[in-house]
Amino acid sequence: MATQQDEGGVPFSVAHQHQHFRLLELSPEIVELVDAPNPPLLFIKSQAPSPTASDAKPAYAVLCTPNKTFQLRQVQTSNSLFVTQPALEAHGNEIPIPATRAIASCTATLELHASTASAVTMLKGVLPVYDIVAGDVDAISNGRSKASMFADMPLSDGECQAAWNELMAFEVDDSSFQPSANALSQVWRSINAASLAEGVRLDRQFMTDEITRAASEEGHPSNFIHAVLAFLSTDDTDRSGPWSCLDRAKTVVFTGRTLLEAEHGADFLVADFTDTWEDRLPEVWRKDAQLSAIDGFYELPGTTIKAKSKAATATATATSAGSAAASMKPSARKWHEKFAKTRKK
Amino acid sequence: MPSIPLHLPGPTRAHSLPENPLPALLHTPSGLALVEIQGTIHFPTPPDASQLSTQVGKLVFPLYNPDINDASDTKWMKRVYLYIGKGQRMTGECKKLGKPIGVMRKRPAGGDTVMGGVEGQDGEGANEEELEIVEVVRFKVVFSARPEPISGVTEGE
Repeated sequence: MATQQDEGGVPFSVAHQHQHFRLLELSPEIVELVDAPNPPLLFIKSQAPSPTASDAKPAYAVLCTPNKTFQLRQVQTSNSLFVTQPALEAHGNEIPIPATRAIASCTATLELHASTASAVTMLKGVLPVYDIVAGDVDAISNGRSKASMFADMPLSDGECQAAWNELMAFEVDDSSFQPSANALSQVWRSINAASLAEGVRLDRQFMTDEITRAASEEGHPSNFIHAVLAFLSTDDTDRSGPWSCLDRAKTVVFTGRTLLEAEHGADFLVADFTDTWEDRLPEVWRKDAQLSAIDGFYELPGTTIKAKSKAATATATATSAGSAAASMKPSARKWHEKFAKTRKK
Repeated sequence: MPSIPLHLPGPTRAHSLPENPLPALLHTPSGLALVEIQGTIHFPTPPDASQLSTQVGKLVFPLYNPDINDASDTKWMKRVYLYIGKGQRMTGECKKLGKPIGVMRKRPAGGDTVMGGVEGQDGEGANEEELEIVEVVRFKVVFSARPEPISGVTEGE
């Protein structure tokens, strides 16, 4: 084994024809995927500067795993970094001996940085809104499928899909949409009415198609109804299966919030609001319609209630969605502010 | 947004054909390793165009002796010499990389086996550009100091 060493080391040679390699610094998440029995396919997405999306940054590339995104950054080095490979080197007429041969030289490595981009914010920015005004659909189709929308996002498909579900986005007539609060409120009314008419309890397992069919009689696209039912389903629901079962707490919050947001910030008497809210819920859930359920999403100027401004709710959703990292980032270094906050409490 | 598939090396990647003379710790399934030096290596243009490479020197691991020391012994990593030509020597060490490095390249169309290693399963239509990580390297040999002149005594003994 050690014969090469004893005879004065391993011959080091340089190939005349270099191969082209790029070196990529792998984060632990990627190493884990490499070591997995069936490594998934990754994607490098590169974004050209886009004139449409307002939050588009200059061109950059991201590496996407099935559900994570990393920004790629190129780091130059003044050193020569050789990629070597074992080779048999023959010297003149001697017997070829094992050697190490440099087959490529790299002057830069690519670093990976976990992306902090929010898929919800980005999808929200590009999906046309599906609204219902005076019984008529008000929506401008973009003629793009969900897949083509995802392809344009500098994020992994997993993150895009999670955001898509959260926005209750849907495809109809070869176009993709995000529903307005008003549309959501109306679809929910149809779902609730359908469950009453069909005698289906939404908090037990029910056939998704049964409710969808009944609710779509009021003109709502069935994909839209599906998206709402999937969003409100209990976490253990198999979304690809034919059954659904709504999560009580989620549904109560959803109903209250959409009802309030559908009013577009107009004043709503608190008593009227809670009455309507109760009416929108299945009989057995009525008493859950308490303001405490939608804490943080409303403000009470006097006896009226209205949805909190967009910016405030956006941060509230962000934190509730668990992306605490994103909201903490800006203040990470402002230790004095953190101190002040804890002192007030 | 253009999207390029990036294949990860499978657990069944083929082993390199020639014997790997480096210490076992530096071995990877495909045989690829990383050697970093400060500066560049210059060598005269080879007279024989059919030659694939030029031997410029040799790597010496003076403390590496697997016959005496246990495989878990890593003290040898602290010292590596790279002799260049007859008159220069660089001193370096083997380092475990904080983050392993993936060696990435364009995936050859039709599963070409340029490196004698990776076997492409998708023989048909790889017309679009695809990338692959052919190897994950966890150690590198680093020579961070400038070369020092030596007398040609140690050479070729």
